[in-house]
This record gives sequence, C-alpha cells and structure tokens, in this order.
Amino acid sequence: MAAQGRIVWVSGPAVRADGMSDAKMYETVTVGNSKLVGEVIRLTGDVAFIQVYESTSGLKPGEPVVGTGNPLSVLLGPGIIGQLYDGIQRPLRELSKASGSFIGRGITTTAVDMTKKYHFVPIVSNGDVVTPGSGIGTVKETDLIENLIMVPPDHPGGKISNLVAEGDYDLETVLATTEKDGQSIPLKMYHKWPVRKPRPYLKRYDPTVPLITGQRVIDTFFPIAKGGTGSIPGAFGTGKTVTLHQIAKWADSQVVVYIGCGERGNEMTEVLVEFPHLKDPRSGKPLMDRTVLVANTSNMPVAAREASIYTGVTIAEYYRDMGKDVVLVADSTSRWAESLREMSGRLEEMPAEEGYPSYLASRLAEFYERAGRVRASGSPDRDGSVTLIGAVSPSGGDFTEPVTTHTMRFIKTFWALDAKLAYSRHYPSINWMNSYSGYLADISKWWSENISEDWFSIRSEAYSVLQREDTLKEIVRLLGPEALPDEEKLILEVARMIKIGLLQQNSFDDVDTYCSPEKQFKLMKLLVDFYKKGQQALKEGAALSDIRALPVVTSLLKARMDVKDDEMSKLDQLDKNLQEQFKSISGVKVSN
Amino acid sequence: MASNSALESTIDKILKNTEKNILTNIKSGLDESQQKLDDAIPKLESEYDKIISNGKKEADKIEKQITGASDIGVRNKQLLVLEEAVERVFSSALEQIANADRSGDYANLVKTLINEAIQILGTSEVTIFTNTKDKDVVQSTISQFSGAKLSSETIECLGGIKVKSKDGAMTFDNTIDARIERLKPLIRKEIAAKFGVGN
Amino acid sequence: MTIEGGVQYSKIAEIKGPLVVVDDVENAAFDELVEIETNEGERRLGKVLEVGNGKAIVQVFEGTTGLSISGTKAKFVGKVMEMPVSKEVLGRVFDGLGRPKDGLPDPIADKFIDINGEPMNPEQREYPKDFIQTGVSVIDGLMTLVRGQKLPIFSGSGMSHNLLAAQIARQASVVGKQDDFAVVFAAIGVQYSEAEYFRRSLEESGALKRSVLFLNTADDPAIERIITPRVALTVAEYLAFDLGMHVLVVMTDMTNYAEALREISAAREEVPGRKGYPGYLYTDLSTIYERAGKLNGRKGSVTQVPILSMPSDDITHPIPDLTGYITEGQIVIGRDLFRQGIYPPINILMSLSRLMKDGIGEGSTRADHAEVANQVYDAYSRSQEVRALAGIVGKAGLTEIDLKYMDVGDTFEKEFLTQATDENRTIEETLALLWKIVSKLPKNEITKIKDKFVDQYYKEE
Repeated sequence: MAAQGRIVWVSGPAVRADGMSDAKMYETVTVGNSKLVGEVIRLTGDVAFIQVYESTSGLKPGEPVVGTGNPLSVLLGPGIIGQLYDGIQRPLRELSKASGSFIGRGITTTAVDMTKKYHFVPIVSNGDVVTPGSGIGTVKETDLIENLIMVPPDHPGGKISNLVAEGDYDLETVLATTEKDGQSIPLKMYHKWPVRKPRPYLKRYDPTVPLITGQRVIDTFFPIAKGGTGSIPGAFGTGKTVTLHQIAKWADSQVVVYIGCGERGNEMTEVLVEFPHLKDPRSGKPLMDRTVLVANTSNMPVAAREASIYTGVTIAEYYRDMGKDVVLVADSTSRWAESLREMSGRLEEMPAEEGYPSYLASRLAEFYERAGRVRASGSPDRDGSVTLIGAVSPSGGDFTEPVTTHTMRFIKTFWALDAKLAYSRHYPSINWMNSYSGYLADISKWWSENISEDWFSIRSEAYSVLQREDTLKEIVRLLGPEALPDEEKLILEVARMIKIGLLQQNSFDDVDTYCSPEKQFKLMKLLVDFYKKGQQALKEGAALSDIRALPVVTSLLKARMDVKDDEMSKLDQLDKNLQEQFKSISGVKVSN
Repeated sequence: MASNSALESTIDKILKNTEKNILTNIKSGLDESQQKLDDAIPKLESEYDKIISNGKKEADKIEKQITGASDIGVRNKQLLVLEEAVERVFSSALEQIANADRSGDYANLVKTLINEAIQILGTSEVTIFTNTKDKDVVQSTISQFSGAKLSSETIECLGGIKVKSKDGAMTFDNTIDARIERLKPLIRKEIAAKFGVGN
Repeated sequence: MTIEGGVQYSKIAEIKGPLVVVDDVENAAFDELVEIETNEGERRLGKVLEVGNGKAIVQVFEGTTGLSISGTKAKFVGKVMEMPVSKEVLGRVFDGLGRPKDGLPDPIADKFIDINGEPMNPEQREYPKDFIQTGVSVIDGLMTLVRGQKLPIFSGSGMSHNLLAAQIARQASVVGKQDDFAVVFAAIGVQYSEAEYFRRSLEESGALKRSVLFLNTADDPAIERIITPRVALTVAEYLAFDLGMHVLVVMTDMTNYAEALREISAAREEVPGRKGYPGYLYTDLSTIYERAGKLNGRKGSVTQVPILSMPSDDITHPIPDLTGYITEGQIVIGRDLFRQGIYPPINILMSLSRLMKDGIGEGSTRADHAEVANQVYDAYSRSQEVRALAGIVGKAGLTEIDLKYMDVGDTFEKEFLTQATDENRTIEETLALLWKIVSKLPKNEITKIKDKFVDQYYKEE
C-alpha cells in the first residue's frame, strides 16, 4: 500500500508531509501537483521528511505526496554508455526534448531507450542452472563495450527455460525464465538496483595492477591501482578538473563513469563535445563509447547532487560485475558533502565541524569502500574493478578542513594540488612533496615485469633529487644559489629539468597529453642519467656552466612534446647525444 | 723683419685657425640647426597627427555620445507619449466602469466576486466591504451567502467588494480596482499594440 | 508559474531582522511573492522562505524598518517574482528590484519571466569558444575572455576594478556586429559615484542605448541585493536567448550580495558555514554565475564579469573562494601593482581564464598564442622569484640569466601590462608585445614554444 500524504511544510529542497505512516525510509515519492521526485529521509510518527530532487518553487502545503513503494534505484541495462544523466539517472537529452534548453520539472523519462534492439547471443542453454549474478548472454552495447546480460544479484536464480534464440531483441523482451521452487521468474536485458546498496560480489583481491593514466606525475610518482581509491584536493584554479578530465580520457579502463557533482555546466558540455572526437589510445574508438556522464551541476537541485554519487557508483559496479575495469571520477565530493550539510541543516540535526553532519565521515567511508578489484558472483568467472577517484575542493585551499581530512582516512593515493605551482603554470600542479601513493610497493612488480626491472630504483633516484632540492631551496631562499657548492647546484639544475621535462605535462598539446609507460620510463631514465653524468663530470673537473650549456639540456626539456609515443628511437638517439656531449666536456678543466 | 714676419705668420695662423674655427662653428651650427629643423619636422608632423587624431577621437566620442543620447532621448519621449495615451484610455475605461449601470448583469458580477473571495479565503464567515454606490446591489446579493455580512463602513473604490474573515486575519481584495491593477500589465500591452508599439 | 493567491493576512507573529513571520496562513507557496503593507500604507516586496503549519516566513527586500506587529499586512500575490521584459528595456535604468528609476513608465512587457531562472540543461549548452577582444593586452593575451564565459574580477577596496570593467564594457562592444551587443550592469550596494561612473562611461561611448542598468546603491535596502543580480540576469537571458544578442553582464560588488545573504541566514538562525556565511553560499552563488553561457541553436550569449572585493585582499575568504570554484577563471587585481601606479594592475600569476584554450589559436587569434602565453607566464613567474632573490642577495649575486629574467619582468610590466584606459590594442599588437618579452630571453630558455614558432617570431635585440 503506497503512502498517500499531504505537504505540511516547505523550505527549499526540504518538505514535510503528514499521513505518511506507510512510507519507508529512502522510498521515492512524488511531491505536489507537479509530481516532483523526492526521497524519504526521516520518519517521525506519520510525518515524513522528504528531500526533493527538483526545484520546489511554488509548492504549497496541502498538496499531495504519494509513495512509489521503491527505494531510489537506477536502471541497469544496455544503452547506459554514452549517456549524460542527471543525479537521478534521467537522461538530459530526453529532458531537453520535454522542456527545451532549460531543465523543467516533473518530467518522467526512462534511463535508456527501451525500444532499441540489441543483438543477443546466449551463453547458457535451457536447463542450465544459474545463480544470482551469472551471465546468460551478451549484447554489443557500443563498439567498445560488450554488455553481459546478468541474472540480477537479488534474483533467486534457478533453471533456465524458455531461452530465446540468438537474435535482435529490445529491453522489455523476456529473454528467458528461471524456474526455482515452483516459481517462474522472467529475465530481461535490464534490471533495477537501489543506489544506496552496494552490489554483491564473490571475493575481493588486493589491487596490484596500476591504472595507467598516461600522466607522468601520476603513473611514475604517485600511481593508483585498478580497484584503488584516490583523492585529488586543490584550491580553485589549481587544475583539478583538467587533471580529472585527463584521467577520464586516458586511463586504461574499459568504462569511465564521470560524475559532475555540483560543478560547472560548461565542464560537462566540454566532455560531451570533446569525447566523441577523441580516440581511445588503445582501441582507436571514440572515448564516448566507453563513457557515462552523470551531471548534477551546481545550480541544479541540491538534493539530486547528493544522489548523483550513488547513481554513478552503482552504474560503475554494474559494469564491474561484467568483468570490466571501471574508473569512476567524482568532481567534487566536497559539493556532495555540502549537499549533506544542507539537508542536515534543514533537518535541524546537531552539526559537527563547520556545520557538516556527524555522519560525514561514515558516508565518505561507505562511498570509498565501494571501490575494489573483485571476482564477480556467478558464472562465468569474471574479475573486474572499480577505481574511485574523488576531487575535493577544500575551502580556501585549506587541507585541514573536514572533507579533506576525513577523505584522507579512506583513500590510499593522495594527489595534493598546489596553488603556488599553478600560479607559476606548473601543470599538473600535483605537489611532489605532499602527495603520496599507498600502492607503490604493490604495483612496482607490474612495472618491472612490463617496462623495466630498473623502474623502482630509477624512480627512487629521480624522487630523491626532488627531495634534496626541497631542502636546498631553503638555503637558496636565504643566501642565494651562489652560496651552494657545484654538486648542489647541479641538484637544483637537475630538479628543474625533472620538473619541466617530466613532471610538467601539457594536456592541451597533442603529443604531450598522453605519455605511454615506456616513454615515461625513458624520459625519467634520461634525466637520471644526466644527473649521474653531471656528477661525474664535476668530479672530473668540468664546470657547471658547461654542463648547463650542453645542447642536450634543451632537448631533454622538450622531449616530452617533441617525441611521439611511437618514436622511442628518438629517445635512444637523445641518450647517445647525452653520452657524447658529456664526453666532450669531461676532463676539460675550465677556469671560471 | 724676421721677427715681424714670424709674428705676422703667427697672427696669420691664428687668424686662419680662428677663421677655420669660426667657419666650422658656423657650419656645425648650421648643420645642427638644419638637423634640429629636420628632426623637428617629423616630430611636429607626429604632434600634429596626434592632435588631429586625438581631436578626431574626441569628436568621434562626442558624436557617439550625441547620437546615442539623442536616440535614447527620442525613444524615451516616445515611451512617455505612449504611456500618456495608455493612461488616457485607462482612465476613460475606469470612468465608464465607475459610472456603469448597477442593474441587471452587475448583480451577477458581484455574486461571482463574492463567491471567488470566499473560496480563496476558505471561509464563509466573512464581512464584506463596498462603496456607497454598490451598497444596494451587494446587500441584495449577500442574502445568498450565509455567514456573510455587509459592513456599515464603506470603502473608496470604483466598484466590486473587499472581503474580510470574521477574525480580521485575512482579507481578499476583489474590488474592480484591484482586479484591474492585477491585469494592468496585460491591458497595457494590448493598448500599446493598438498604437503599433510593442510586439 | 502562477499560483492562486491574493489573500492579505494581518496576523504578524514576529519581526526579526529582514524577516516577517505571518501566522494563520492557509494559502501560500514556497518562493511566492509577498506584498507587505505598513501602517502608513507603504508597500514593500518580499518572498516566502518557508511555509507550513500555518506559518509563513517572509523575507522583506526593502527591510523591516518601521514595520509593527499590529497593522502590518502581508498579501501573498499568487506568483513568484517576475521581471517584465521587452526590447524596450534597453537604455533604461531600474532599481535593485527591477522597477523603473529613470522617471519613465514600466516597460510594456513582451513577457514576464521568473527572476530565478531555470538551470540550463548541460546537454543543451554550446561550449563557449568565441574570442572577445577586449583591447586590454593582458586579458586578450594571457586570460582571454570568450562569449558565454563567467570571468570575475577579484579586487580589493579602492582599487581600479571599475575602470577596468568599464573599459572592457566599452571596448568589447566593438567586436562583431554592433547591434547584436548589449551591456547589462548591476550595481549591488556600491557607492552612487561608482554606479554613476559606469553609467557615464557607457554614455560617453554611446553604448547607453544598448545597455540596461540596475542600481542598488549603498544607501538602498540591503536585502534588495538578493534580487538585483537575478533581475539583471533575467533581462540578460531574455536579450540573449529571445532576441539573439551577445550580452555582457557586469555585476558589482558580489561581496555585498553575499553579505545580504548572510544577514538573512543569521536572522533565520541557521547553522553557519565558514565566517558566518550560510552553508549553501556555494549553491546560491552558482544559481547566479551559472546563468552565463551559450545554448545550442540560439544566437545570443550571456557573458558575465562579476566584480567582488576581497575582504582584506584575502583570496581564501569564502566569497572569492567559492566564486572561484564556480566561475571559469578569475582576474585578480594586485595591491602591489596598484600601489606602483600600474594600470591595469592585474596579477597574472593568480589570474586565469579556463576557457582561453578554446578561444584562441589558429582561426581565432593565432596558432602560436597558447605557447607564447605559456612562456610569458613562466618567464614572469621566474622574474618574480629572481626579484625576491635580488632583494636578499642584491643584484650582484644574480647570474647573467637571472638578470635577463629581471629585464623580462620590467618589460612585461612597463610595456605589456601598462595601458591607458582608453587604449584599445588589437590582438596582433598584443601578440607582438608578448614576443617582444620572450625575445628578451636566450633561445635555450624557451622550453614551451615549438621551434617553428620561435623561428618565425623570435627577434633577438
């Protein structure tokens, strides 16, 4: 029996309705005469507290509230890839058909086109017994995505019968039925799943495979593993969004879920305009063929912003369960936290730090806990992963504020963006002293097996130059660079070269925007070689000014832009030049 | 005479030198002034150009200002004239309403007005106010509404009624004045369109 | 949206700050417009912030001074606040609530539009990429403005942000077709003289007939400021998306707006976020800034240049901070440069235009633009470090290359940055100046520009 109540109070996105004793917690309801979508978030007596996902302007006490009996759910089936959804999985393209350029209210749509036909290829036969989560067949969702049609996780499973033959079917077609305990349950291409409930899996693995993003400072210095968690905090203007876009573009995952949560409208438009034209570096297909966008921009209703994170992660888990590697990027978790704060304020809950509710930490923990590399339930055997990357927008760039500090407790890779670096146009402005990765040890095996056995040691050498430069900088600040001996000046010089030639990366440059692991390693090795040769040359009496003047210096700084991924021989040539040029100055004493 | 000639030659030399000096001086002076003149000409020219271009800029600015201001001035006058016309239409319409015959259909109008007010207020326990002119019509209509009472107080208006809940907490103004006020923007638009202005 | 309404209530339960609580309200909607009538018959406007259980909390735009519990009446008008719009709003001056302030009649409305607007569907946005030449070198060269962008000016008290905004409004107006362009100016709690300066500047450039002015000056009611940017943007959206004009909206000073919002929040006894500003300040600001943009299939655009003064020049203060998270970059006015008498005193290192990359390059400005701009940013940043170092070790302690960077810094500030308020430079002039700066460096310092451009434009002196 669906609850039928009346509005008694309205304040912004918060509505109270009485006569709601039949309502359940987190049930979706329609609110008012214009049938706005809302969700029950507290029940007191027969009064339900409802957060409304659409603008409540003009809503009046006395208008009806009707329960749907269902928790807030997403529809999972082929057709999701390439979509741009709002926070509650309404396709924005469909909304524009109903209300034009601006978002109207009370519009109902389906998340995917239910009438579109897909070519279904069964992988089970009549009589097979399937368990929850098992695949029954595949359809080609996009050029890049083979969608595994699965028995829903909350479905009892059973013996397959009435299986259709291979062929083209739409989403509502009954593909098979399962028989169990005398019950016959139909299976279709889609099912629904409540967003706040993590999808089950068989078991979890330790993340040991790096997610290659093509971004040097990330892959080489602060890597994240597939199935891992990462956070990217930064004040405005530090390039957070550009970095996240870069990850969404180039990460070597099969599916990318990009959540624009309380951010700029134009950023989502940018993705929509750009991704169809960009090619996945591995398959050569348009990036949009593997991307799902969830957009709840800052000016869209705040309650739907809260839901958007869950909508996104549930979609990610769905593709994970097919055995795919999924990257979910959430920009920004701070805006999500603010929506929690706003609803909490309207509920008149006791606030904790800076007005955030006391359950902020546990909500963040629950979210990041949905990351992982897992063996999916059912048959056939599939391993998939969800990597969660959340942006944090600390107020005033202050990393001690609640959202940043709580997030740090639940993530393992921390990319700290630095306003000072951004001001000097060092992009990505990931600060190499404040950032860290907890996956370094786990994923170094992958690098030594796939790229070079020396990877870990060379990386350590490169990093130690940066560390030493950091301490030397203090002295320079007080006394000027001339106060340092030549060996230390060399460190400053090499650190500068590492910063310009390796850490900096121009995402708007056709060549530099993506850097293959091999090129990353070779660039790094060249710089470390330069350092070693430089040390040796100094010992043999060469002047620092001669080392600085070597033509190879400029080549090293520009190699990231000049050398394409398929031109590794150019880097080998650069290596030769380096060796030769050092030969030309070593042993030559030059008086200053 | 040797000394003499030596002296002479010395004087001669000095004179020559002086002459030479003077000549060079004169020449360099001439050159210099020529140079200065040469230099001055382009400078003057550029100065002249600058003055002219500044003047032109200034003139452009003033022209823009004047045309801009006059464009606006004309438009604003037009708006005022239009408004005057609209007002005239309005007041004559209001006058007609005020002087309209209170018999026949008018009672029906009053009935509708009271009905509407009672519905909006959500109570029929009301006091009704009207002007002296409409008092009789209202009084005769009011019998159809139980709980409604006509106030002895009269109000200033063209016609119609004002309804107050018994406790005085709620009022709904349903005078013809209030209704016209609510519709005024739309009526203005229509009148303006008749004058060929607006969309 | 219209709601049935029009009932006047006279039971006032409470008056606190800018709020009036009305009792026994049976029929009112959230966000509904309210007409408050004082004892003296004066009328003020307000809107419903919260309604339910027989109570309505009304925010009075013109303040509650002089209101009393008995005798004050509140009429719920039955609609949300709307702005009448038509082409004839051009050349008009309105007050902070959108009522005529120029002695002329109400505009004859083509439409009445809800001043809160509706969020643009991101799927229907057109990505902004049309270069606007402001004629100000530092903006065109290093933080390019594009049509449909929101690019605020972060300034501090007493600095020359108004000069700059007025210069942009004057000079940007000559780009593209004249009749397609309009300026909407919203003065939010600024001094009369500042508003008047802007008006005169538009008048002198002949742009007044293509402008709409909304003036809430310092002596006008503070709560009205909540409405001023919204009526201004409603008109801007109408001009852009109904009439196809390219509209530049200048709003000054958004700090006053945020303060009005804080005042209401405090009166409602809400749990404050940072520095007493409400926790929803970000969301609220976004409903203003996100009204900039372009739409698929429509001709016009809304470009915003909001101005805000940073309290104690602090960029981490919640107002600039949250603004910066929403807007597409920021132009930061630097106190040091201002003190040195430099105009425009823009601190380029802290400034940024996020949409620049799409507005420049081949076909709009020039192919080398992005790279030469990057190099100049890099060089100027180095020059600042060198300057700081010179302050400690003296010029004698600097290397030859350091000295070159010092020179770069000077040339940058004196020849590129510095510009007269009526000097309108073309993009070609601006790019030439950028190359002049880069050419002060030896070639091997140029790491951000491709060789082909260096070969083409680098000119050693």
